[in-house]
Amino acid sequence: MLNVLLTEIMKLKNTKMHWLILLGAIPANLVTLYAFLPRVTPEGTRAGIDLQDMFYRQGMVITILGPFMFALMTGYIISREYQERTINQLFSYPVSRTKILFAKLGAVVVLIFTTSLLSCIMVTATGVIMSFTKPVEMEVLWSGIRMNMLAGLLALGTIPVSAALSMIGTSVIPSTVLGAFATIVTLIGEMGHGMRNILFPWAMPYWPVRELAQGLAESGPNPYAVPGMTILAVTFMVSLVFCIVYYEKAEIHSGS
Amino acid sequence: MSTILRTSRLTKRYGGKTVVSDVNMTIIPGDIYGFLGQNGAGKTTTLRMIMGLIHPSSGEVELFGKPLHGNKGEAMERIGAIIEYPGFYLNLNAADNLEIHRRLMGMGNRESIDDALAAVGLLDAKHQKVKQYSLGMKQRLGIARALLHHPELLILDEPTNGLDPVGMKEMRQLFLELVRKRGITFLISSHLLSEIEQLSNKIGIIHKGRMLEEIDYESLQRKTRHYLDIKVTDEKKAAFILEQKLGTTDYVVAGSGGLRLYEHLDEPDRVSLLLAEGGVGIKEMVLSGDSLEEYFLKLTGGDKFA
Repeated sequence: MLNVLLTEIMKLKNTKMHWLILLGAIPANLVTLYAFLPRVTPEGTRAGIDLQDMFYRQGMVITILGPFMFALMTGYIISREYQERTINQLFSYPVSRTKILFAKLGAVVVLIFTTSLLSCIMVTATGVIMSFTKPVEMEVLWSGIRMNMLAGLLALGTIPVSAALSMIGTSVIPSTVLGAFATIVTLIGEMGHGMRNILFPWAMPYWPVRELAQGLAESGPNPYAVPGMTILAVTFMVSLVFCIVYYEKAEIHSGS
Repeated sequence: MSTILRTSRLTKRYGGKTVVSDVNMTIIPGDIYGFLGQNGAGKTTTLRMIMGLIHPSSGEVELFGKPLHGNKGEAMERIGAIIEYPGFYLNLNAADNLEIHRRLMGMGNRESIDDALAAVGLLDAKHQKVKQYSLGMKQRLGIARALLHHPELLILDEPTNGLDPVGMKEMRQLFLELVRKRGITFLISSHLLSEIEQLSNKIGIIHKGRMLEEIDYESLQRKTRHYLDIKVTDEKKAAFILEQKLGTTDYVVAGSGGLRLYEHLDEPDRVSLLLAEGGVGIKEMVLSGDSLEEYFLKLTGGDKFA
């Protein structure tokens, strides 16, 4: 399995995928710079840099851009085999199609976590630099890292949907359109800071981001977490099973 | 004798349309099997079924003595193939593309990549991105990939597409060398009669989804031999004269006063003189026989091959 996954990573060499990762990560880093702007407390004293606030803003941006970016990445990895007419060869290997599918989804996981990791570089770097002048609350750093990990994990829930669309359409376009739509819906939901919007599976990664902001907004735990997780889990399972069945049964005509 | 590939009544239907119908094919070790048919005859669909890329509507594929269904992985380890078009990851160079193949075939030996590239004359271009390759180079790289894991059977769908005459000749020489040196069995599809004729020892002719004939090269040669078609007054006497005076037994009595003489084609005057001297009247004498092309045209109902 590791060998198949490595070949999927190899296939990304010299592609524009690294630009796509940066395109997802850079805005999140830039937004965290907002924390460096002058800020005054209610008491009228100058407030310091707030790492939690930085993580919150970074999380917001990555969870808004994520649905589009991750759908594009998934669409590319799945559909390029049809577009570049390598699917004939790919399905002629002594490797099961399900294993190939999981390797492809594994490559998407690597890309998602790389994007998430790079998106919080600015916050982490700020934390490290601050630690030279004053003690940094390790709990805040850890909660920021935990938020990123959980948001990345939850973003995986909708990846099989993008994969399924790319298989059926044998093109990156259907999953990209879906991703764009999901990003718009997530953006509207996050702007409203509504708790209920995590019922939309693509907005579920916003849940840990919002949880992280509790200290800032005093909003309390999200009562929609369980139903949101259930919807996401069902979305994941149904679309994954569909992908497996479709990939296994698909007939390959004319290289596409 | 063991078979490398056998298809039994292989059929593919899409909706109500049958695109491949009851195709029976048998390939034994060492064969260079030419799968001949016009564009759209059903060659690629048949090859796709053999490779497990599409599912037959009915019929069976047997590879290396085992049904493809349930044994695909094992069979694919012993097959190299190019189906329709040699697809590559264009962003990668030749060596990287072959490295992916090596890993997916579960091979341990990285040096074999250089060997395969050298076999098709692409060793110097191994670090060049495939998107910079010409179609001919891609075809050769496709062959290199198909050879990399030392297959017993090579399935090549129109392998000389896009090659110039020199490239086609080189490719033919490569195939013959592979048969001679490595004992690889070939299944080559083509719409080019000349290509199949120069390479194959067995030919399957498919037309409109049906296998019209599967014939070995010697039988085909016999069927397409030229002969003197002689109509005589007494065929028994004529046969006696051909044997006694002309010293040949390479003739057949075709009945109704007809004889087919396969030798002395350039001596019709001598043949007629000997028959006349022996008291046999000659009603008609013409040079007959089909060329390979004429034979195929007749078989396929007059449609033209390239």
